[in-house]
Amino acid sequence: MRVQRRRGDIVVGLDAVERDLLASLATQYDEVLHDDEGDDAVHDRLFPVAYRDDPDADDEFRRYTYEGLVERKSANAGRIAASIAAAGDGRILLDPDAVGAWLPALTDLRLVIAERLGIRHDDDTVPDDQLGQVYHWLAELQARLVDAVDR
Amino acid sequence: MVDVAQLVEHWLVVPVVAGSSPVIHPTMSLTQPDEALEERELFEPDRAWSTVVWNDPVNLMTYVTHVFRTYFGYPRREAERLMLLVHHEGRATVASGPREEMERHTEAMHEFGLWATVERI
Repeated sequence: MRVQRRRGDIVVGLDAVERDLLASLATQYDEVLHDDEGDDAVHDRLFPVAYRDDPDADDEFRRYTYEGLVERKSANAGRIAASIAAAGDGRILLDPDAVGAWLPALTDLRLVIAERLGIRHDDDTVPDDQLGQVYHWLAELQARLVDAVDR
Repeated sequence: MVDVAQLVEHWLVVPVVAGSSPVIHPTMSLTQPDEALEERELFEPDRAWSTVVWNDPVNLMTYVTHVFRTYFGYPRREAERLMLLVHHEGRATVASGPREEMERHTEAMHEFGLWATVERI
């Protein structure tokens, strides 16, 4: 994994395995977003409560925001897939707009995986299995992207 | 480097951990009587609400700072101060003002993957 800044853009170098992994995760994330019958705990992480002590206000907030959030999160997922597809075997070029789509999607991906791994508190440990490694890998990618754009 | 060789697994859509669990909720605050709410809305319409961002074990500290800088336009030091509040105290008030505006900020935070709530001040 290599992440570099080139003028205003970010260049991401991933090997073929990493590219396929990320494209697959982006597709799965998009499926999760549209899966109304899916895991409630995952759903609550992607669309958390906005009013802690007022269920009616929370319902109303959800009614007004839910579809738009799904749409924009889904667009971010699509942006990851598109960036990877456009790069072919080469390095992935992200303009600031693309980085703005990648970062929230990587965050959501980590939220979904965290729920699958049972990571809910600061002192919960990440299991040393394949999904745990994917979780760490996504964190590394996200950290490097943030460092590159904030430099 | 992480070995990510087996890509075919459908990790996210098919849960690998059976069962679901409740999302972390902060301590519920006491609800106020309706009369009190109406009174506040009448007399303090513009500053009566806030957007609070809550800690979670997932988000990277640098990303939270990045969001506070890019979305709210906070200078780096203020964004870092707020991020550290979230990290150490579990929550930080990142904005206050009219209710609709606080809802917009909350929605934006959810879009960034951060957990935010609308709170009455």
